[in-house]
Amino acid sequence: MSEPFLQVRGAVKRFGGLTAVNDVSFDVRRGEIVSIIGPNGAGKTTLFNLLTGQLKPTAGDVSLNGQVINALPPERRARLGLGRTFQIAKPLLTLTALENAMVGSFLHHSRLHDAEAKAHQMLIEVGLDRRAHVRAAQLTLSERRRLEVARALALEPSLMLLDEVMAGLNQSEVQDSIDLFRRLNGAGLTFLIIEHNLKVVRAFSERVIVIDRGAKIAEGTAEQILTNPEVVTAYLGRRRG
Amino acid sequence: MNSDDLATADPSPNRPAGGILPWRRVALLYAVGLLVTLVPLLLLSRNFFWLNIITYTYLFAGLAVAWNIIAGFGGQFSLGHGVFFAIGAYTTARLFLDWEISPWLGLLPGAIACAVVGPLIFWPTFRLKGSFFAIATLAFNEVALVLANYLESVTGGPRGLQVPFRAAFKNMIFTDPRAYTVLMFVFMAIAVGISIVLMRSRLGYYLLAVREDEDAARAAGISVIQVKLRATALSAALTAIGGGLFAMYIRTIDPLTLFSLPDIGVKFALLSLIGGMGTITGPVLGAFLIIPLESYLRAVFGGSGPGVHLILLGFVMLLAALFMRRGVAGAIDSLRQHWRHRRSA
Repeated sequence: MSEPFLQVRGAVKRFGGLTAVNDVSFDVRRGEIVSIIGPNGAGKTTLFNLLTGQLKPTAGDVSLNGQVINALPPERRARLGLGRTFQIAKPLLTLTALENAMVGSFLHHSRLHDAEAKAHQMLIEVGLDRRAHVRAAQLTLSERRRLEVARALALEPSLMLLDEVMAGLNQSEVQDSIDLFRRLNGAGLTFLIIEHNLKVVRAFSERVIVIDRGAKIAEGTAEQILTNPEVVTAYLGRRRG
Repeated sequence: MNSDDLATADPSPNRPAGGILPWRRVALLYAVGLLVTLVPLLLLSRNFFWLNIITYTYLFAGLAVAWNIIAGFGGQFSLGHGVFFAIGAYTTARLFLDWEISPWLGLLPGAIACAVVGPLIFWPTFRLKGSFFAIATLAFNEVALVLANYLESVTGGPRGLQVPFRAAFKNMIFTDPRAYTVLMFVFMAIAVGISIVLMRSRLGYYLLAVREDEDAARAAGISVIQVKLRATALSAALTAIGGGLFAMYIRTIDPLTLFSLPDIGVKFALLSLIGGMGTITGPVLGAFLIIPLESYLRAVFGGSGPGVHLILLGFVMLLAALFMRRGVAGAIDSLRQHWRHRRSA
Protein backbone atom coordinates (compact mmCIF):
# COMPACT_ATOMS: atom_id res chain seq x y z
CA MET A 1 0.00 0.00 0.00
CA SER A 2 2.81 2.43 0.71
CA GLU A 3 4.73 2.07 -2.55
CA PRO A 4 4.29 5.11 -4.79
CA PHE A 5 1.21 4.97 -7.02
CA LEU A 6 2.04 7.97 -9.15
CA GLN A 7 5.73 8.68 -9.48
CA VAL A 8 7.29 11.74 -11.12
CA ARG A 9 11.05 11.64 -11.61
CA GLY A 10 13.03 14.63 -12.89
CA ALA A 11 10.20 15.87 -15.07
CA VAL A 12 11.23 18.67 -17.41
CA LYS A 13 9.10 20.52 -19.95
CA ARG A 14 10.59 23.14 -22.22
CA PHE A 15 8.75 25.29 -24.74
CA GLY A 16 11.59 26.58 -26.93
CA GLY A 17 13.79 28.62 -24.58
CA LEU A 18 11.23 28.64 -21.77
CA THR A 19 11.50 25.96 -19.11
CA ALA A 20 8.01 25.65 -17.68
CA VAL A 21 8.70 22.62 -15.52
CA ASN A 22 12.26 22.13 -14.30
CA ASP A 23 13.38 18.83 -12.79
CA VAL A 24 10.36 18.13 -10.62
CA SER A 25 10.14 14.86 -8.67
CA PHE A 26 7.47 13.67 -6.28
CA ASP A 27 5.40 10.64 -5.35
CA VAL A 28 1.75 10.13 -4.61
CA ARG A 29 0.87 7.03 -2.59
CA ARG A 30 -2.41 5.17 -2.72
CA GLY A 31 -5.16 6.79 -0.69
CA GLU A 32 -3.37 10.13 -0.27
CA ILE A 33 -4.64 13.63 -0.93
CA VAL A 34 -1.79 15.69 -2.34
CA SER A 35 -1.99 19.32 -3.41
CA ILE A 36 0.22 21.23 -5.77
CA ILE A 37 0.27 24.94 -5.09
CA GLY A 38 2.24 27.84 -6.45
CA PRO A 39 1.83 31.41 -7.66
CA ASN A 40 0.40 32.23 -11.09
CA GLY A 41 2.67 31.12 -13.91
CA ALA A 42 4.65 28.77 -11.67
CA GLY A 43 4.11 25.85 -14.05
CA LYS A 44 1.36 24.04 -12.14
CA THR A 45 -0.88 23.53 -15.13
CA THR A 46 2.03 22.45 -17.33
CA LEU A 47 3.00 19.90 -14.69
CA PHE A 48 -0.63 18.79 -14.51
CA ASN A 49 -0.72 18.35 -18.28
CA LEU A 50 2.37 16.12 -18.11
CA LEU A 51 0.39 13.87 -15.78
CA THR A 52 -2.78 13.80 -17.88
CA GLY A 53 -0.94 13.22 -21.15
CA GLN A 54 -1.96 16.52 -22.70
CA LEU A 55 1.81 17.22 -22.93
CA LYS A 56 4.81 14.89 -23.14
CA PRO A 57 7.81 15.62 -20.90
CA THR A 58 11.03 16.89 -22.53
CA ALA A 59 12.95 14.78 -20.01
CA GLY A 60 12.20 12.67 -16.95
CA ASP A 61 9.57 10.05 -16.29
CA VAL A 62 5.97 9.87 -15.16
CA SER A 63 4.92 6.42 -13.95
CA LEU A 64 1.63 5.06 -12.78
CA ASN A 65 1.64 1.86 -10.77
CA GLY A 66 5.24 1.21 -11.78
CA GLN A 67 4.52 1.63 -15.51
CA VAL A 68 6.19 4.51 -17.33
CA ILE A 69 3.40 6.40 -19.09
CA ASN A 70 5.34 9.27 -20.70
CA ALA A 71 4.24 8.41 -24.21
CA LEU A 72 0.66 7.38 -23.48
CA PRO A 73 -2.07 9.68 -24.84
CA PRO A 74 -4.76 10.96 -22.43
CA GLU A 75 -7.33 8.30 -23.37
CA ARG A 76 -4.92 5.47 -22.55
CA ARG A 77 -4.16 7.06 -19.19
CA ALA A 78 -7.87 7.36 -18.49
CA ARG A 79 -8.22 3.63 -19.13
CA LEU A 80 -5.38 2.99 -16.65
CA GLY A 81 -7.48 4.63 -13.95
CA LEU A 82 -6.62 8.28 -14.21
CA GLY A 83 -9.62 10.61 -13.95
CA ARG A 84 -9.28 14.36 -14.43
CA THR A 85 -11.17 17.62 -14.50
CA PHE A 86 -10.36 20.64 -16.61
CA GLN A 87 -9.54 24.07 -15.21
CA ILE A 88 -12.24 25.50 -17.45
CA ALA A 89 -15.01 22.90 -17.22
CA LYS A 90 -15.71 21.12 -20.50
CA PRO A 91 -19.32 19.99 -20.34
CA LEU A 92 -20.71 18.31 -23.47
CA LEU A 93 -23.19 21.12 -23.99
CA THR A 94 -25.95 19.55 -26.08
CA LEU A 95 -26.03 16.41 -23.93
CA THR A 96 -27.99 16.16 -20.71
CA ALA A 97 -26.20 15.89 -17.38
CA LEU A 98 -26.99 12.18 -17.30
CA GLU A 99 -25.65 11.66 -20.82
CA ASN A 100 -22.49 13.56 -19.89
CA ALA A 101 -21.87 11.18 -17.02
CA MET A 102 -22.71 8.22 -19.27
CA VAL A 103 -19.89 9.20 -21.62
CA GLY A 104 -17.68 8.40 -18.63
CA SER A 105 -19.46 5.30 -17.35
CA PHE A 106 -19.45 3.61 -20.77
CA LEU A 107 -15.72 2.98 -20.22
CA HIS A 108 -16.48 0.07 -17.89
CA HIS A 109 -20.13 -0.60 -18.73
CA SER A 110 -20.77 -1.34 -22.38
CA ARG A 111 -24.53 -1.90 -21.99
CA LEU A 112 -26.77 1.16 -22.17
CA HIS A 113 -28.76 0.61 -19.01
CA ASP A 114 -25.72 -0.38 -16.95
CA ALA A 115 -23.94 2.79 -18.08
CA GLU A 116 -27.08 4.79 -17.29
CA ALA A 117 -27.36 3.31 -13.79
CA LYS A 118 -23.71 4.01 -13.02
CA ALA A 119 -23.98 7.56 -14.39
CA HIS A 120 -27.08 8.24 -12.34
CA GLN A 121 -25.31 7.00 -9.23
CA MET A 122 -22.47 9.46 -9.92
CA LEU A 123 -24.93 12.32 -10.37
CA ILE A 124 -26.38 11.48 -6.95
CA GLU A 125 -22.85 11.46 -5.57
CA VAL A 126 -22.20 15.05 -6.73
CA GLY A 127 -25.77 16.20 -6.00
CA LEU A 128 -26.87 16.68 -9.60
CA ASP A 129 -29.46 13.90 -9.82
CA ARG A 130 -32.37 16.34 -9.86
CA ARG A 131 -30.81 17.97 -12.91
CA ALA A 132 -30.14 14.66 -14.69
CA HIS A 133 -32.27 15.46 -17.73
CA VAL A 134 -31.24 19.08 -18.14
CA ARG A 135 -28.88 19.89 -20.98
CA ALA A 136 -25.40 20.79 -19.77
CA ALA A 137 -25.70 24.13 -21.59
CA GLN A 138 -28.39 25.15 -19.07
CA LEU A 139 -26.35 24.27 -15.98
CA THR A 140 -24.76 26.92 -13.76
CA LEU A 141 -21.01 27.24 -13.38
CA SER A 142 -20.93 25.29 -10.14
CA GLU A 143 -23.19 22.61 -11.57
CA ARG A 144 -20.89 22.31 -14.58
CA ARG A 145 -17.94 21.77 -12.28
CA ARG A 146 -19.79 19.08 -10.38
CA LEU A 147 -20.82 17.49 -13.68
CA GLU A 148 -17.16 17.42 -14.66
CA VAL A 149 -16.38 15.58 -11.44
CA ALA A 150 -19.29 13.17 -12.03
CA ARG A 151 -18.05 12.33 -15.55
CA ALA A 152 -14.54 11.71 -14.23
CA LEU A 153 -15.86 9.61 -11.32
CA ALA A 154 -17.95 7.54 -13.73
CA LEU A 155 -14.66 6.27 -15.20
CA GLU A 156 -14.16 4.56 -11.84
CA PRO A 157 -10.64 5.96 -11.57
CA SER A 158 -8.09 5.08 -8.94
CA LEU A 159 -6.42 8.51 -9.12
CA MET A 160 -8.28 11.79 -9.55
CA LEU A 161 -6.47 14.83 -10.89
CA LEU A 162 -8.38 18.01 -10.11
CA ASP A 163 -7.35 21.28 -11.74
CA GLU A 164 -8.61 24.23 -9.65
CA VAL A 165 -11.96 22.55 -9.32
CA MET A 166 -13.02 24.98 -6.56
CA ALA A 167 -12.38 28.19 -8.51
CA GLY A 168 -15.46 30.36 -8.81
CA LEU A 169 -17.44 28.43 -6.19
CA ASN A 170 -18.95 30.11 -3.14
CA GLN A 171 -18.17 29.15 0.47
CA SER A 172 -20.86 26.53 0.88
CA GLU A 173 -20.16 25.01 -2.52
CA VAL A 174 -16.48 24.76 -1.63
CA GLN A 175 -17.42 23.04 1.63
CA ASP A 176 -19.71 20.62 -0.23
CA SER A 177 -16.91 19.77 -2.63
CA ILE A 178 -14.45 19.21 0.20
CA ASP A 179 -16.94 16.90 1.90
CA LEU A 180 -17.47 15.00 -1.35
CA PHE A 181 -13.75 14.54 -1.95
CA ARG A 182 -13.15 13.48 1.65
CA ARG A 183 -15.92 10.91 1.36
CA LEU A 184 -14.49 9.53 -1.89
CA ASN A 185 -11.03 9.52 -0.37
CA GLY A 186 -12.42 7.51 2.52
CA ALA A 187 -13.64 4.99 -0.04
CA GLY A 188 -10.08 4.61 -1.34
CA LEU A 189 -9.77 7.19 -4.13
CA THR A 190 -6.40 8.96 -4.38
CA PHE A 191 -6.37 12.70 -5.12
CA LEU A 192 -3.85 15.02 -6.67
CA ILE A 193 -5.19 18.54 -6.80
CA ILE A 194 -3.97 21.83 -8.14
CA GLU A 195 -5.34 24.57 -5.99
CA HIS A 196 -4.95 28.27 -5.67
CA ASN A 197 -7.09 28.69 -2.59
CA LEU A 198 -4.79 28.15 0.42
CA LYS A 199 -7.76 27.74 2.78
CA VAL A 200 -8.93 24.78 0.73
CA VAL A 201 -5.44 23.33 0.74
CA ARG A 202 -5.23 23.67 4.52
CA ALA A 203 -8.64 22.10 5.08
CA PHE A 204 -8.20 19.28 2.70
CA SER A 205 -4.76 17.99 1.83
CA GLU A 206 -2.46 15.74 3.73
CA ARG A 207 0.60 16.74 1.78
CA VAL A 208 1.44 19.87 -0.16
CA ILE A 209 3.96 20.37 -2.94
CA VAL A 210 4.97 23.93 -3.77
CA ILE A 211 6.05 24.87 -7.28
CA ASP A 212 7.67 28.17 -8.15
CA ARG A 213 9.19 29.12 -11.51
CA GLY A 214 8.89 25.55 -12.68
CA ALA A 215 10.76 23.95 -9.79
CA LYS A 216 9.62 22.26 -6.62
CA ILE A 217 10.63 24.53 -3.73
CA ALA A 218 8.99 22.77 -0.80
CA GLU A 219 7.01 19.72 0.24
CA GLY A 220 5.35 18.88 3.53
CA THR A 221 2.15 19.06 5.54
CA ALA A 222 -0.12 22.03 5.00
CA GLU A 223 0.97 23.59 8.31
CA GLN A 224 4.66 23.23 7.53
CA ILE A 225 4.21 24.67 4.10
CA LEU A 226 2.14 27.69 5.00
CA THR A 227 4.72 28.81 7.54
CA ASN A 228 7.72 28.08 5.31
CA PRO A 229 9.45 31.44 4.62
CA GLU A 230 10.44 30.42 1.10
CA VAL A 231 6.82 29.67 0.26
CA VAL A 232 5.64 32.94 1.77
CA THR A 233 8.23 34.76 -0.33
CA ALA A 234 7.13 33.00 -3.49
CA TYR A 235 3.52 33.97 -2.89
CA LEU A 236 3.86 37.47 -1.39
CA GLY A 237 7.23 38.61 -2.70
CA ARG A 238 10.35 39.54 -0.72
CA ARG A 239 10.11 42.08 2.09
CA ARG A 240 11.91 45.22 1.01
CA GLY A 241 14.17 47.52 3.08
CA MET B 1 -32.30 1.10 -12.03
CA ASN B 2 -35.51 1.25 -13.96
CA SER B 3 -35.32 3.85 -16.69
CA ASP B 4 -38.98 4.66 -16.32
CA ASP B 5 -38.21 5.84 -12.79
CA LEU B 6 -35.44 8.02 -14.17
CA ALA B 7 -37.69 9.60 -16.72
CA THR B 8 -40.16 10.66 -14.06
CA ALA B 9 -37.63 11.43 -11.32
CA ASP B 10 -37.59 15.13 -12.00
CA PRO B 11 -40.95 16.87 -12.17
CA SER B 12 -39.40 20.25 -12.99
CA PRO B 13 -40.18 21.77 -16.39
CA ASN B 14 -36.44 21.96 -17.12
CA ARG B 15 -36.38 18.52 -18.59
CA PRO B 16 -36.23 18.90 -22.36
CA ALA B 17 -34.54 15.65 -23.25
CA GLY B 18 -36.31 13.22 -20.95
CA GLY B 19 -34.89 9.95 -19.74
CA ILE B 20 -33.57 7.08 -21.78
CA LEU B 21 -36.57 5.20 -23.06
CA PRO B 22 -36.80 1.43 -22.83
CA TRP B 23 -36.25 -0.40 -26.12
CA ARG B 24 -39.83 -1.48 -26.67
CA ARG B 25 -41.17 2.05 -26.51
CA VAL B 26 -38.49 3.37 -28.86
CA ALA B 27 -39.12 0.58 -31.36
CA LEU B 28 -42.86 1.20 -31.25
CA LEU B 29 -42.46 4.97 -31.62
CA TYR B 30 -40.25 4.73 -34.67
CA ALA B 31 -42.26 1.93 -36.24
CA VAL B 32 -45.34 4.14 -36.07
CA GLY B 33 -43.32 7.06 -37.48
CA LEU B 34 -42.09 4.99 -40.40
CA LEU B 35 -45.59 3.73 -41.12
CA VAL B 36 -46.77 7.33 -41.30
CA THR B 37 -44.19 7.97 -44.01
CA LEU B 38 -45.83 5.16 -46.00
CA VAL B 39 -49.05 7.17 -46.27
CA PRO B 40 -47.99 9.23 -49.32
CA LEU B 41 -47.08 6.00 -51.12
CA LEU B 42 -50.53 4.54 -50.49
CA LEU B 43 -52.32 7.73 -51.50
CA LEU B 44 -50.34 8.41 -54.65
CA SER B 45 -49.47 4.95 -55.84
CA ARG B 46 -51.41 5.42 -59.08
CA ASN B 47 -49.81 8.69 -60.04
CA PHE B 48 -46.44 7.89 -61.63
CA PHE B 49 -45.20 11.48 -61.45
CA TRP B 50 -45.63 11.57 -57.68
CA LEU B 51 -44.60 7.95 -57.23
CA ASN B 52 -41.20 8.77 -58.73
CA ILE B 53 -40.84 11.70 -56.36
CA ILE B 54 -41.78 9.57 -53.37
CA THR B 55 -39.25 6.93 -54.42
CA TYR B 56 -36.51 9.58 -54.50
CA THR B 57 -37.71 10.96 -51.18
CA TYR B 58 -37.31 7.60 -49.45
CA LEU B 59 -33.92 7.03 -51.07
CA PHE B 60 -32.58 10.45 -50.14
CA ALA B 61 -34.06 10.24 -46.66
CA GLY B 62 -32.02 7.05 -46.18
CA LEU B 63 -28.93 8.69 -47.64
CA ALA B 64 -29.30 11.77 -45.43
CA VAL B 65 -29.67 9.48 -42.39
CA ALA B 66 -26.45 7.70 -43.43
CA TRP B 67 -24.60 11.01 -43.85
CA ASN B 68 -25.91 12.24 -40.52
CA ILE B 69 -24.13 9.38 -38.69
CA ILE B 70 -20.67 10.87 -39.14
CA ALA B 71 -21.66 14.47 -39.85
CA GLY B 72 -24.57 15.05 -37.49
CA PHE B 73 -23.74 12.81 -34.56
CA GLY B 74 -19.97 12.92 -35.04
CA GLY B 75 -19.74 16.58 -36.08
CA GLN B 76 -17.56 15.79 -39.13
CA PHE B 77 -19.23 17.82 -41.86
CA SER B 78 -18.36 15.71 -44.89
CA LEU B 79 -19.05 16.96 -48.41
CA GLY B 80 -17.30 13.91 -49.87
CA HIS B 81 -20.06 11.35 -49.46
CA GLY B 82 -20.70 11.53 -53.20
CA VAL B 83 -17.57 9.37 -53.53
CA PHE B 84 -19.14 6.55 -51.49
CA PHE B 85 -22.43 6.96 -53.33
CA ALA B 86 -20.60 6.60 -56.65
CA ILE B 87 -18.50 3.62 -55.52
CA GLY B 88 -21.71 1.85 -54.52
CA ALA B 89 -23.42 2.72 -57.82
CA TYR B 90 -20.50 1.67 -60.03
CA THR B 91 -19.80 -1.53 -58.09
CA THR B 92 -23.39 -2.76 -58.17
CA ALA B 93 -23.87 -1.89 -61.85
CA ARG B 94 -20.48 -3.24 -62.95
CA LEU B 95 -20.91 -6.57 -61.15
CA PHE B 96 -24.34 -6.97 -62.71
CA LEU B 97 -23.16 -6.03 -66.22
CA ASP B 98 -19.95 -8.09 -66.27
CA TRP B 99 -20.79 -11.15 -64.21
CA GLU B 100 -24.56 -11.04 -63.92
CA ILE B 101 -24.19 -10.85 -60.14
CA SER B 102 -27.60 -10.08 -58.66
CA PRO B 103 -27.70 -6.48 -57.36
CA TRP B 104 -29.10 -7.86 -54.10
CA LEU B 105 -25.63 -9.34 -53.56
CA GLY B 106 -23.87 -6.67 -55.59
CA LEU B 107 -24.80 -4.02 -53.02
CA LEU B 108 -22.51 -5.66 -50.47
CA PRO B 109 -19.07 -5.40 -52.16
CA GLY B 110 -19.62 -1.67 -52.67
CA ALA B 111 -20.63 -1.26 -49.03
CA ILE B 112 -17.63 -3.25 -47.82
CA ALA B 113 -15.29 -1.32 -50.13
CA CYS B 114 -16.60 1.97 -48.71
CA ALA B 115 -16.29 0.72 -45.14
CA VAL B 116 -12.57 0.34 -45.93
CA VAL B 117 -11.99 3.23 -48.34
CA GLY B 118 -14.01 5.75 -46.30
CA PRO B 119 -11.87 5.53 -43.16
CA LEU B 120 -8.69 5.40 -45.29
CA ILE B 121 -9.37 8.63 -47.17
CA PHE B 122 -10.86 10.44 -44.17
CA TRP B 123 -8.03 9.45 -41.85
CA PRO B 124 -5.60 12.22 -42.91
CA THR B 125 -8.49 14.68 -43.15
CA PHE B 126 -9.67 14.19 -39.57
CA ARG B 127 -6.83 16.42 -38.40
CA LEU B 128 -8.77 19.30 -39.93
CA LYS B 129 -11.60 20.97 -38.08
CA GLY B 130 -14.94 22.44 -39.15
CA SER B 131 -15.08 24.04 -42.56
CA PHE B 132 -11.51 22.97 -43.36
CA PHE B 133 -12.60 19.36 -43.06
CA ALA B 134 -15.64 20.08 -45.24
CA ILE B 135 -13.50 21.67 -47.95
CA ALA B 136 -10.97 18.81 -47.91
CA THR B 137 -13.73 16.22 -48.31
CA LEU B 138 -15.24 18.32 -51.09
CA ALA B 139 -11.88 17.98 -52.84
CA PHE B 140 -12.19 14.17 -52.65
CA ASN B 141 -15.44 14.45 -54.57
CA GLU B 142 -13.79 16.50 -57.32
CA VAL B 143 -10.76 14.21 -57.57
CA ALA B 144 -13.04 11.19 -57.80
CA LEU B 145 -15.04 12.89 -60.57
CA VAL B 146 -11.85 13.31 -62.63
CA LEU B 147 -10.82 9.71 -61.94
CA ALA B 148 -14.26 8.37 -62.90
CA ASN B 149 -14.09 10.23 -66.21
CA TYR B 150 -10.62 8.87 -66.84
CA LEU B 151 -11.07 5.21 -65.83
CA GLU B 152 -13.20 4.22 -68.78
CA SER B 153 -12.70 0.48 -68.33
CA VAL B 154 -14.39 0.60 -64.93
CA THR B 155 -16.83 3.48 -65.07
CA GLY B 156 -17.50 3.71 -68.77
CA GLY B 157 -15.90 7.17 -68.69
CA PRO B 158 -18.03 10.26 -69.37
CA ARG B 159 -20.62 8.20 -71.25
CA GLY B 160 -21.25 6.13 -68.16
CA LEU B 161 -22.86 2.72 -67.71
CA GLN B 162 -26.24 1.58 -68.98
CA VAL B 163 -28.03 -1.28 -67.27
CA PRO B 164 -30.35 -3.00 -69.76
CA PHE B 165 -33.99 -3.37 -68.74
CA ARG B 166 -34.33 -7.08 -67.93
CA ALA B 167 -37.16 -7.23 -65.44
CA ALA B 168 -36.75 -9.90 -62.77
CA PHE B 169 -36.73 -9.90 -59.01
CA LYS B 170 -33.17 -11.25 -58.91
CA ASN B 171 -32.07 -8.43 -61.25
CA MET B 172 -33.69 -5.81 -59.00
CA ILE B 173 -35.44 -4.51 -62.09
CA PHE B 174 -39.22 -4.22 -61.89
CA THR B 175 -41.98 -3.39 -64.35
CA ASP B 176 -44.14 -2.05 -61.52
CA PRO B 177 -42.58 1.24 -60.32
CA ARG B 178 -44.17 0.72 -56.91
CA ALA B 179 -41.63 -2.03 -56.26
CA TYR B 180 -38.83 0.54 -56.34
CA THR B 181 -40.75 2.75 -53.97
CA VAL B 182 -41.06 -0.11 -51.49
CA LEU B 183 -37.38 -0.92 -51.98
CA MET B 184 -36.31 2.64 -51.13
CA PHE B 185 -38.70 2.69 -48.19
CA VAL B 186 -37.03 -0.43 -46.79
CA PHE B 187 -33.61 1.18 -47.30
CA MET B 188 -34.74 4.26 -45.37
CA ALA B 189 -36.22 2.11 -42.61
CA ILE B 190 -32.98 0.13 -42.27
CA ALA B 191 -30.91 3.32 -42.16
CA VAL B 192 -33.17 4.76 -39.46
CA GLY B 193 -33.02 1.47 -37.54
CA ILE B 194 -29.22 1.49 -37.64
CA SER B 195 -29.20 5.08 -36.38
CA ILE B 196 -31.45 4.16 -33.47
CA VAL B 197 -29.31 1.19 -32.46
CA LEU B 198 -26.16 3.31 -32.85
CA MET B 199 -27.46 6.09 -30.62
CA ARG B 200 -28.27 3.60 -27.89
CA SER B 201 -24.75 2.17 -28.01
CA ARG B 202 -21.41 3.16 -26.59
CA LEU B 203 -20.18 4.23 -30.04
CA GLY B 204 -23.16 6.59 -30.38
CA TYR B 205 -22.46 8.31 -27.07
CA TYR B 206 -18.76 8.49 -27.88
CA LEU B 207 -19.58 10.11 -31.24
CA LEU B 208 -21.56 12.84 -29.47
CA ALA B 209 -18.73 13.32 -26.98
CA VAL B 210 -16.21 13.68 -29.82
CA ARG B 211 -18.46 16.20 -31.56
CA GLU B 212 -18.89 18.28 -28.41
CA ASP B 213 -15.32 18.34 -27.10
CA GLU B 214 -12.41 16.18 -28.20
CA ASP B 215 -10.29 16.91 -25.12
CA ALA B 216 -13.12 16.00 -22.78
CA ALA B 217 -13.71 12.85 -24.83
CA ARG B 218 -10.06 11.81 -24.49
CA ALA B 219 -10.17 12.43 -20.77
CA ALA B 220 -13.08 9.96 -20.65
CA GLY B 221 -10.89 7.27 -22.20
CA ILE B 222 -12.22 7.71 -25.73
CA SER B 223 -9.92 7.18 -28.70
CA VAL B 224 -11.16 10.07 -30.83
CA ILE B 225 -9.71 8.84 -34.12
CA GLN B 226 -11.05 5.32 -33.66
CA VAL B 227 -14.56 6.62 -33.01
CA LYS B 228 -14.44 8.84 -36.09
CA LEU B 229 -13.14 6.01 -38.29
CA ARG B 230 -15.77 3.53 -37.16
CA ALA B 231 -18.60 5.98 -37.72
CA THR B 232 -17.16 6.84 -41.14
CA ALA B 233 -17.10 3.16 -42.09
CA LEU B 234 -20.75 2.76 -41.12
CA SER B 235 -21.85 5.99 -42.78
CA ALA B 236 -19.89 5.28 -45.99
CA ALA B 237 -21.15 1.69 -46.27
CA LEU B 238 -24.79 2.79 -45.94
CA THR B 239 -24.22 5.54 -48.50
CA ALA B 240 -22.76 2.98 -50.93
CA ILE B 241 -25.88 0.83 -50.59
CA GLY B 242 -27.96 3.89 -51.42
CA GLY B 243 -25.76 4.45 -54.47
CA GLY B 244 -26.27 0.87 -55.62
CA LEU B 245 -30.05 1.20 -55.31
CA PHE B 246 -29.93 4.49 -57.19
CA ALA B 247 -28.00 2.82 -60.03
CA MET B 248 -30.58 0.04 -60.35
CA TYR B 249 -33.44 2.55 -60.25
CA ILE B 250 -32.32 4.94 -62.97
CA ARG B 251 -30.18 2.33 -64.81
CA THR B 252 -27.99 5.01 -66.40
CA ILE B 253 -25.12 6.32 -64.35
CA ASP B 254 -22.42 8.75 -65.39
CA PRO B 255 -19.84 10.78 -63.47
CA LEU B 256 -21.64 14.11 -63.78
CA THR B 257 -24.76 12.66 -62.16
CA LEU B 258 -23.03 10.69 -59.41
CA PHE B 259 -20.58 13.40 -58.39
CA SER B 260 -23.00 16.29 -58.80
CA LEU B 261 -22.68 18.51 -55.75
CA PRO B 262 -26.17 20.08 -55.70
CA ASP B 263 -27.90 16.77 -56.46
CA ILE B 264 -25.76 14.31 -54.46
CA GLY B 265 -22.74 15.31 -52.34
CA VAL B 266 -24.05 18.55 -50.89
CA LYS B 267 -27.68 17.45 -50.97
CA PHE B 268 -27.17 14.92 -48.15
CA ALA B 269 -25.88 17.77 -46.00
CA LEU B 270 -28.64 20.13 -47.06
CA LEU B 271 -31.45 17.71 -46.26
CA SER B 272 -30.00 17.05 -42.81
CA LEU B 273 -29.44 20.75 -42.15
CA ILE B 274 -33.00 21.64 -43.06
CA GLY B 275 -34.44 18.72 -41.12
CA GLY B 276 -32.13 18.94 -38.12
CA MET B 277 -28.57 17.64 -37.93
CA GLY B 278 -27.59 15.23 -35.18
CA THR B 279 -31.11 13.92 -34.66
CA ILE B 280 -32.53 10.64 -35.89
CA THR B 281 -35.68 12.10 -37.42
CA GLY B 282 -34.16 15.33 -38.79
CA PRO B 283 -32.66 13.98 -42.02
CA VAL B 284 -35.92 12.14 -42.83
CA LEU B 285 -37.99 15.29 -42.21
CA GLY B 286 -35.57 17.27 -44.38
CA ALA B 287 -35.93 14.82 -47.26
CA PHE B 288 -39.72 14.80 -46.99
CA LEU B 289 -39.77 18.58 -47.12
CA ILE B 290 -37.16 19.33 -49.76
CA ILE B 291 -37.25 16.48 -52.29
CA PRO B 292 -40.99 16.79 -53.15
CA LEU B 293 -40.80 20.59 -53.05
CA GLU B 294 -37.80 20.66 -55.35
CA SER B 295 -39.31 18.17 -57.79
CA TYR B 296 -42.63 19.99 -57.79
CA LEU B 297 -41.00 23.39 -58.36
CA ARG B 298 -38.87 21.94 -61.12
CA ALA B 299 -41.95 20.53 -62.84
CA VAL B 300 -44.04 23.68 -62.45
CA PHE B 301 -41.45 26.36 -63.10
CA GLY B 302 -39.04 24.36 -65.27
CA GLY B 303 -40.79 25.70 -68.37
CA SER B 304 -40.72 29.36 -67.34
CA GLY B 305 -36.93 29.57 -67.42
CA PRO B 306 -33.92 27.54 -66.38
CA GLY B 307 -33.18 27.63 -62.67
CA VAL B 308 -36.39 29.37 -61.53
CA HIS B 309 -37.16 26.40 -59.28
CA LEU B 310 -33.68 26.66 -57.78
CA ILE B 311 -34.24 30.33 -56.92
CA LEU B 312 -37.46 29.42 -55.10
CA LEU B 313 -35.79 26.49 -53.37
CA GLY B 314 -32.92 28.73 -52.34
CA PHE B 315 -35.42 31.14 -50.82
CA VAL B 316 -36.98 28.33 -48.74
CA MET B 317 -33.54 27.34 -47.51
CA LEU B 318 -32.72 30.93 -46.65
CA LEU B 319 -35.86 31.09 -44.52
CA ALA B 320 -34.92 27.82 -42.85
CA ALA B 321 -31.40 29.08 -42.13
CA LEU B 322 -32.80 32.28 -40.63
CA PHE B 323 -35.69 30.94 -38.58
CA MET B 324 -34.93 27.28 -37.92
CA ARG B 325 -31.29 27.12 -36.89
CA ARG B 326 -31.70 23.60 -35.52
CA GLY B 327 -33.78 22.46 -38.44
CA VAL B 328 -37.36 21.21 -38.45
CA ALA B 329 -36.59 18.64 -35.71
CA GLY B 330 -35.10 21.42 -33.58
CA ALA B 331 -38.08 23.69 -34.16
CA ILE B 332 -40.48 20.91 -33.13
CA ASP B 333 -38.37 20.31 -30.02
CA SER B 334 -38.55 24.03 -29.13
CA LEU B 335 -42.32 24.06 -29.63
CA ARG B 336 -42.71 21.03 -27.40
CA GLN B 337 -40.62 22.66 -24.69
CA HIS B 338 -42.63 25.85 -25.00
CA TRP B 339 -45.86 23.89 -24.71
CA ARG B 340 -44.58 21.93 -21.71
CA HIS B 341 -43.59 25.18 -19.99
CA ARG B 342 -47.03 26.68 -20.51
CA ARG B 343 -48.72 23.55 -19.28
CA SER B 344 -46.67 23.43 -16.09
CA ALA B 345 -46.93 27.20 -15.49
